[in-house]
Amino acid sequence: MSSPASCIQTLSSILSSVPSSVSSSSSLLHDPTISAEISSLLRHPDSGSGDNNLCRWLYDTFHSPDPDLKLVVLRYVPIIAGVYLTRIALRKSLAGFEAILLALYAHETTARDGQPVSVNVPDLSHPSIYHDPKGSAKTKATELNLAVISPTLEPHGTMRSSRRARIVGVALELYYAKISQMPVSSKIEFCEFCDIWAASQKTEEAKAKKERMIPLPWELLQPSLRILGHCLLGSHNSKELLAAASSANKSLYHRSLHDIDAKAILATGSLLRIEKMASDPILNVDHTEPDMSNVLSL
Amino acid sequence: MADDDSPPQGRQFSANGTSIPTADVEAKLDKGNIQEAESSLRERLSLNSEEARTLLGRLEYQRGNVESALRVLDGIDLQSAIQGLQPSNQKAAKLVLEGVYLKAKSLQKLGKFTEAAKDCTSVLDAVGKIFPQGISDAQVESPLQETVSKAVELLPELLKLAGNYQEAMATYRRVLLNPWNLDNECFARIQKAFAVFLLHSGLEADPPSLGAQAEGAYVPKNNLEEAILLLLVIMQKVHQGVVQWDPSVMDHLMYALSLCSQTPVLSKQLEELKPGLFHRTERWNFLALCCSGAGQNKAALNILRKSLHINEKPNDLTALLLAAKICSEDPHLAAEGVGYAQRAVDNAKGVDEHLKGACLRMLGLCLGKQAKVSSSDFERSQLQNGSLKSLDSALSLEQDNPDIIFELGVHYAEQRNLNTALHFAKKYIDITGGSELKGWRLLALILSAQQRFAEAETVTDAALDETGKWEQGPLLRLKAKLKVSQLRPMEAIDTYRHLLALVQAQRKALGPMKTDSQVDDKVKEFEVWYGLATLYSSLSHWKDVEVCVQKAREMKQYSAELLHTEGCMHEERGEFQEALSSHINAGLLDPLFVPSKVRIGALLPKMGSIALPVARTVLSDALRIEPTNRKAWYHLGMVHKADGRLAEAVDCLQAASMLEDSDPVENFRSIL
Repeated sequence: MSSPASCIQTLSSILSSVPSSVSSSSSLLHDPTISAEISSLLRHPDSGSGDNNLCRWLYDTFHSPDPDLKLVVLRYVPIIAGVYLTRIALRKSLAGFEAILLALYAHETTARDGQPVSVNVPDLSHPSIYHDPKGSAKTKATELNLAVISPTLEPHGTMRSSRRARIVGVALELYYAKISQMPVSSKIEFCEFCDIWAASQKTEEAKAKKERMIPLPWELLQPSLRILGHCLLGSHNSKELLAAASSANKSLYHRSLHDIDAKAILATGSLLRIEKMASDPILNVDHTEPDMSNVLSL
Repeated sequence: MADDDSPPQGRQFSANGTSIPTADVEAKLDKGNIQEAESSLRERLSLNSEEARTLLGRLEYQRGNVESALRVLDGIDLQSAIQGLQPSNQKAAKLVLEGVYLKAKSLQKLGKFTEAAKDCTSVLDAVGKIFPQGISDAQVESPLQETVSKAVELLPELLKLAGNYQEAMATYRRVLLNPWNLDNECFARIQKAFAVFLLHSGLEADPPSLGAQAEGAYVPKNNLEEAILLLLVIMQKVHQGVVQWDPSVMDHLMYALSLCSQTPVLSKQLEELKPGLFHRTERWNFLALCCSGAGQNKAALNILRKSLHINEKPNDLTALLLAAKICSEDPHLAAEGVGYAQRAVDNAKGVDEHLKGACLRMLGLCLGKQAKVSSSDFERSQLQNGSLKSLDSALSLEQDNPDIIFELGVHYAEQRNLNTALHFAKKYIDITGGSELKGWRLLALILSAQQRFAEAETVTDAALDETGKWEQGPLLRLKAKLKVSQLRPMEAIDTYRHLLALVQAQRKALGPMKTDSQVDDKVKEFEVWYGLATLYSSLSHWKDVEVCVQKAREMKQYSAELLHTEGCMHEERGEFQEALSSHINAGLLDPLFVPSKVRIGALLPKMGSIALPVARTVLSDALRIEPTNRKAWYHLGMVHKADGRLAEAVDCLQAASMLEDSDPVENFRSIL
């Protein structure tokens, strides 16, 4: 499974058919018929068990040294995480899904050497490349607030249930890191699962499908909100993605109110307001338009 | 501008002191006669060909005929004109660059973003040639500056539209880190657009290079840091009144900072805002969320009290829920919380109907908490019933809500309705897939209260399997106590040893990088020594008890628990006065510490009948705090008996015997 060719060959024994046009990692990532079939297999009620061929294929493909093949696996992170979390309460074997998620987690743990990821929030009394306060004491060290955005990773060989949210959260962090290379359909799937996880305003349809609220601790919610921010405000022009992201954000906002989760209320609420402002023509004057006055002069 | 069927009245050309209406030139253009339109314009306004074409291009662009505008502008050899630009002739430069800019805008309208970006780039490159040191206000004439500013703002947008994200990133920095003499508003707009791009593009871009920057200036290391810096810089300009207030900047900052859990920084920004930008209650509510997000619940509640004041917005559901939640965590605030929660329930209507369950849950939690500090039995049982009713109603609205299921489990366990409690505890573990430590602990404690110690230990072991190393502390402590209950003290000591090693390793490993959640669950080393002291004291190994107490005291100097253990030690040695004073001291340190009260109640009767009323008071007090304390009921019964109140004595002893087999190895409250 180290080359795209052997990968595609193995896949052809799992799927009903693989179009002949699919011959490279990139076509594997972007071919709509392949992703549609893999997606539907992953959503199958019996998917995700330990002996599931497709899970095995995804697991092996992720371990190929070809970084483009890793992207193919990441493309399915939304569905894998989504289906996995909604099935926890059903007490089914999900070892296939777990193996993939653990592989992603282990990859990130190694890449980061288990170290936390943090960002500095600067204090503006000290100059930065973007500003120079008058009369600042240049000798004084900048006061920085160190914010941990992804804590230390300890190695996990098995899916310990108390670490489940974190392990899935790290898989989402990995997905987010490559999100600019992910196809729109994958992002839409993510948004749809956010809607399902939030289950904030249960529709009759959701009730019939027995969709239940998935616990959304911060370690899961935080990377989800970063992905959602990209889907809502990233530079793309897919109306369908925008609609899916908008609906997901509304659901998560209602869910944060329901859970009285202060940070989540602030984050989702701000996205809601930004979205609303973006659709208000009065607030969106195009300042790059040339002079439109009635007198055309030199 | 979209095509207008009727052109605005009075559109006219004006040059060299002459003005003419545009109508007949428009007619020529509409017929496709660009040459005729041009020569007509040249004649009547004494223009050269470039000037005429530029005016025609602008006219066509204004009329929304972008393809025609492009045809008109293609008649000018802009490239060679750019080559020939002289710094001294800004008028000529303006004319040429405006032509190129119009082309870029027209191409943008046609969706040809890459070509548009190319033209826009050539505008900026030309400006770079004219002003090699960057533009300063003194050098530039305002018509040229206008075109430059627009091109600077447009280029990164075009690159994004063309999907050329890396180039867009580099251009934003080129624009923002070099002097283009942009006005403050324009500059802030570009900063904001760049910040949004950094936050949401999902690109892994290299951080800005240290390059030519002033020494000692802060350089952000990654996208998120750079975005936050830019937004803070814009906000500073807003605070200084240099640029206009743009609410979306605050919202982007809110998003970024809450994802980093840096809500205190956000509070500071909100506090610095000039009045009038937000409604005051809105600002208070944001501030309360910021405080609560940073764990500063007391501060959050103080702010919420203002915004929920009867003259402000007393029925704001988010504020009510947050206030109720904060109050539900403190017995002394619970009564206040009941008020908020009740108001929330009353207001969860219409579009907020979906929050009804959450409101009822808060009401249930606040009532339950209030019951804990209620001084009358009657009131307490009323509050408890109310609590149960609310939680039940909440559950009927949200049958799968794990939080409500857990809270009902604890509620029933505290009432010693152990079978029902067991049902909820199991359901909670199922529904969360065992992801919550507290679920396992609740189940094990309920089993221990049912005296099913072996099963409780099995559950604890299962939980240990599902838990990461650093979170195992509370489970190991529980396991040690279960071993004690099964009369296997040596195994218990082993477990404590294991726990001690873990606690010490944890302190070393986590060091300064502790996060809040890790601190919460951590079993402090103190508890290990205290647990061992209790264990040895049950074995009457007094020397070991002394060692453990001493160790524990190094961790926590003033501790009711340790005083209690010492009191028991004195009792065993027959040191009556010392024992009593240890227990009394424990009660003074922590007025809610029950075990010492019980011991005082047990010891005092030995002083004779004169002490019986005091003993009775102390024991009643213990039972007010912990109504299910078996030993307190027993000793109270004995006090009544000694005082000759046999009926009361029987009642109390009966209560004690009923409770006999329902004590968990740790208080149920320890889970919350």
